[in-house]
Order: sequence, then structure tokens, then C-alpha cells
Amino acid sequence: MADFDYTFYWRAAFESLPEMLDGAWVTVQIAVLSMGLGTLLAVFLTLGAQSDRWMLRAPATLWVSVARNTPALFQVYMLYFGLGTFGLHLGSWLALVAGITFNNAGYLAETFRGGLKAIPATQLRAARSLGMSAPQAYRLIVLPQLLRVVFYPLTNQFVWAVLMTSLGVVVGLTSDLAGVTQALNVRTFRTFEFFAIAAALYFLLAKFVGVMTRVIAWRLFRY
Amino acid sequence: MKLKSLAFTLFATCGLLAASAAQADKLDDIIKKGVIRCAVVLDFPPMGSRDSSNTPIGFDVDYCADLAKSLGVKHELVETPFPDRIPALMSGRADVIVGSTSDTMERAKTVGMSVPYFAFEMVVLTRTDAKIGKYEDLKGRPVGGPAGTYEAIALEADLKKWNNPKGKFHGYQSLADSVLALSQGQIDGVVVTSTVASALIKTGKYKNLKIAGKAPYDTDYVSLVAARNEFGMLNYLNLFINRQVRSGRYNELFTKWIGGTDAPALTAAGVYR
Amino acid sequence: MFSTSLTWNDVLFLLQGAWTTLLLTFLAMLIGTLLGLACGLGRALWPRLTWPLAALLDVFRSVPLLIQFVLLNSLKSIIALDWSAFTVACIVLGCYVTAYCTEIVRSGVLAVPQTTRRAARSLGMSFSQDVVHIVLPMAARVAFPGWINLTLAVMKDTSLVLWIGIVELLRASQTIVTRLQEPLFVLMLAGLIYYGMSLVVARAGAWTEKRWQEND
Repeated sequence: MADFDYTFYWRAAFESLPEMLDGAWVTVQIAVLSMGLGTLLAVFLTLGAQSDRWMLRAPATLWVSVARNTPALFQVYMLYFGLGTFGLHLGSWLALVAGITFNNAGYLAETFRGGLKAIPATQLRAARSLGMSAPQAYRLIVLPQLLRVVFYPLTNQFVWAVLMTSLGVVVGLTSDLAGVTQALNVRTFRTFEFFAIAAALYFLLAKFVGVMTRVIAWRLFRY
Repeated sequence: MKLKSLAFTLFATCGLLAASAAQADKLDDIIKKGVIRCAVVLDFPPMGSRDSSNTPIGFDVDYCADLAKSLGVKHELVETPFPDRIPALMSGRADVIVGSTSDTMERAKTVGMSVPYFAFEMVVLTRTDAKIGKYEDLKGRPVGGPAGTYEAIALEADLKKWNNPKGKFHGYQSLADSVLALSQGQIDGVVVTSTVASALIKTGKYKNLKIAGKAPYDTDYVSLVAARNEFGMLNYLNLFINRQVRSGRYNELFTKWIGGTDAPALTAAGVYR
Repeated sequence: MFSTSLTWNDVLFLLQGAWTTLLLTFLAMLIGTLLGLACGLGRALWPRLTWPLAALLDVFRSVPLLIQFVLLNSLKSIIALDWSAFTVACIVLGCYVTAYCTEIVRSGVLAVPQTTRRAARSLGMSFSQDVVHIVLPMAARVAFPGWINLTLAVMKDTSLVLWIGIVELLRASQTIVTRLQEPLFVLMLAGLIYYGMSLVVARAGAWTEKRWQEND
């Protein structure tokens, strides 16, 4: 017979809700920042991986390869403690953002590469033959089509970025949602109550991102 | 009616089972299972660490072995970093914590603490190039420590009292991470026990660390920890600690692991327990 | 020039951690694929009926894995179940894999043309014969790359179980870093092992794909 010997202290947990909401806001900031930087870097990585110069191709493929074949937690941990050997001190917030950006860039570069393959090369050739310069052709013809193709994976990656921010707690970040929850847990040892509320908040965040992206998709691809 | 008698039988059986379950407590369970799981901290020499073949060694490790021997069972070590000791106990991964757990009132609300089995003095550990000579020099510096420990909470409270905008506290998920962050320059000082400070410097792996004076905290008495309602277990642990001192084993372990013969007294003067 | 206190004993310690990683991945994929197959088939063949199932599985994909581990670990002790942390990890990872596998299987099954299925039925096959002999083999080929990706993702996500006290590869490397104080070297070694395991699985997947394509 199960010995149900535990009193739930929900009141204490709900009293910390404002603190956790502050943490959720920091989580969103980290996710948005790392997504933006990651997408930008991914564009460069995609271009670099396809370039003819070995000097550009090798680091780009290495980055993508490492980002996709090693755990995200490992990447964050390495940035926080591994770089310290060279005297580079990244605080835990910076290490987390850098780690998620590194990871995002790698995965998105692969996504963009696949997306570019899905756009027929004839489109680019036709645009050039119509007199557009290369940047114009990319901006007006290739990119809009690319955006449609990669939109779903991009939003997936954004949700992953939001969930990945929870890794910050392993390198001592106490300002994001998971960090705040762990700091409260270590003080009061009411693990289940605090983490259950955190789980609910993460779920709401993920759903919110999903809804927002669907609205954006509806507006962007409305033809 | 047949249904009523069936329901009655069911409830009676459940009641009997519950009653018998309520009688069996943690101490009986451990003796019946034949193994006791101790949560130990293995990045805290000389109380707990790993030797060159990664085998756990230390005062706490030996203490757990002694406890198992007195119970007549085998012992199993569950490695936990500092912030994970009590969660491990509460989530059932460990039966008792032999991990230098300070007997704070906050923790006593959640778990049961035995009488002290060791006592620590706190010192400031810092880098040779950080220009910190005493505890007060930590004002306005980035500092850190393992989240949730007695000394980390006290340091954080003092930091708030000093109210210097340049001072910041970083909580880490283990002592090893805090010391690594200190040696790499992320933080300028940690407050740790005098035993671990000397042990770490003695390993020779941290060439840039030094002790910078005592920290003005009360003596840190540490207890063995079990679940709050396991009175059988807690009474046993209290008697066990008493016996360890009476038989001279406490002094023996102290000399073996910390060195010298002035093992700290385990009583507070003027109060019974 | 380059000296380290790393011994072969330590490398063995790391490899033991890697073995735990592989074991967890294997068990999680086993549980998750079997359940995901059932759920995915259900989702594809009876979409409206199985909508509540989709909502439930969606929860496992919208909460960070770290939080899921901690929650199940503390829940199981609240209701006094005597499960080890390893069991908790397998269950959480299994549910996680089920959630993703459902989608993968569903898209694979939906990729089988309706005409092919109708042709099978008109040839006299029963519903279950149609599913087993026609739909599943074709769906498997479509879903395979996604499934390999999922395996690789799970292998990396096992690094999170260090939070509930299981000694897998990353935790093992942390232990050695604590003793040796050579974080960069030990972490790079761990990274190399992760990379190696990942590459092996990816290569095995590519080889299987090529073998399947030979018959098409």
C-alpha cells in the first residue's frame, strides 16, 4: 500500500509566481536573442559551406558538424568552463546565449541548405538573365521562397531554443525560469511544486510561440 | 447485501495492509534489504573525494562504511553535489546523507537532522592575484559558492548587507564548479571550510589559490540527515555518532583524513543537545 | 610539450559513462518507437478520434526535458514508488521519443498514396493485411531518415540525466575534471566520444537507407 506521506505546499509555490514570471521573461529574451543571432550566423554558414574556398568551407562545415553531433548541454558547459582555460570568462548568461546560438546556427544552416536545394536553380538563372544583380536576385526571388520552405523548421527551432534555455541552470544561471525555480528549490526543497509550475509556464510559452508563428505565417504567406 | 460485505472486506484488507506498512519504517527496510544508500559529496576533500583510480575515499565515505557495518548491511554510495543532497534523500535515491550537511533551521523544516558528527571553521579561499587579504575585502567583488549551502547563504546575506553595486553572488551547482570558476577568474572568492581549502591547495592542482583569513561565521556543525518522520533511523544515528566518539573511532578518522589530534568538539557549551 | 594526468583508468571511466548513454538511448528508442508506431498509426488512420492523444503527447514536446526528469523523479518519491533514477530516465525519454515518433510515423503513413491502399484492398487484402504488408514497409522508408535524426537527438539529450544523478558521459567527464583540473582537455575528449557515437549511428543509418534503395 503506497505510503502517501507528503504535504503539498502549493501556497508557497504560488507566492513565488511573480519571481518565476520574471524568470520567464528572461527566458524569452535569451531565446529571441539566440534565435536572431543564430539565423544570421546560419546564413553565413550556409554560404560558407557552399563556397569554393577551402578556408571558408572547412570552418563552416566543422561548426555545423560539431553543433549537430554533440549535446547542447555539452556545448554550453564547454563554453563556460572550457574557454576559461584560455582566460576567457563568459558569465553563465553569456555562455548560455552563446551555446544556444552556436547550436541554433548549426541546425539552421542545415535547414537552409536543404531549403536552398528545394528551390530550382532555374529561378536564380532566370532572375539574373532578367538583369537583376546577384544580391537583388537573392533578396527578391530566392529569399521569399526560401522563407516559405524553411518556416516550419524555423519555428520548431525557436520552440527548441525556448526549451533549451533551461540548460542555463547547470552553469549557474539564476535569472531565467529554470534558474529561478532551482534557486527556490534549493532553499525550500519543495521540488515538485516549484517545478510543476515551471513546467506549466514553459508549456504556455511554447504554445504561445506556436500560436504567434501561425499568425505570422498566415500574414506572410497570404497569397 | 453482498456488495456491502465485499466492500467491507476490501477496506479491512487495505486497512490491515496500511497498518502493517505503517509499522515498517526506514530502519527495518534497510536491515531487510541488506543495503544502506548514503548520499556523499565527492568533490569535498578530505571528507569525500576520488583517488587516482576514481574510487571514492574520505572521512564521510569511511563514516558511511562504519554505519553500514554497525547495521550489519552493505553500503552503497550515491554521489551528490552539495545542492543535490537533500533532493536525493527526498526523492528516494538515498536513505541517509553522510555529506557534511550543516544543521540549519531551514533544513530542519524539511528533513530530520542528527546530533553533530563533525564541525568546521570557515575560511576565505581566493586567488593569489585577487588582492584579498581578509573577509571584508570581499565587499564589491564577484563571489560565489555551491547553491544552498550554509556558507553560501551566509555570504549572500552579507553581500546584501554591504550593498555594494559591484558585489555579485553566483550560485553554482557543485563545489567543484565554484572552485573551478574561482581559479579561472569568474569570481574572486569563495567561503569554504578550512579542511577543504587546505586539502585543495595540497593537491597542487590549483597553483593560484590561497587562503585569506577566517570568515566570521559561527562554527559549522554538520549532521547526518534522514527523512523527517523516520524517528527510528534518527535515534539510531544519534546513538551511532555517540558511539563513534566513545570508541575513539572519531579521533582515528580525524587523524587519518585531516591530520593532527585536535578533533573538534561536537557539543555546544551550555546546552544539552 | 603536452602533459596530462589523464590515465587509462580515467578513459575507461569515461567509456563507462558512454556505455550508460548508449544504453539509455537504446532503451528509450525501443520503448518510444514501439509506442510511437502504435500512436502514429492511430493518428494517421483515425485522426479525429485520436486528437486527445495528440494533445497529451504535445505536452512532452513543450516542456524542457530537464524539467520532465526532475518532475517525474520527485513525483515518484511522493507516491513512494521504489524506482531507480535510471527507470525514471527511461520512462521520461520513452515518452519523449513516443511524442516525436508519433509525428514521424504519421507523416510516413500519410505519404503512402491512397490509390495504392485502395488497390491493395481491391485485390482482396483485409485492412490489417493492407496495413502490415503495404502501408508499413512504404511508410518505414519515408520515415527512416526522421527516425535516425530522432535517435541522434535522444543520444544527445541523455546528457541531461546527470541532473537526476545518473553517471553518463558528461557527468563522468565532470568527475574527472574535478580531480585533474584540466577542463578543456577532458571536455574535448568527451566531445570526441559524443561525436564518434553520433557519426557511427548516422553512418549506420545511411548504410541502411542505401540498402533499402537498392531494392526499389
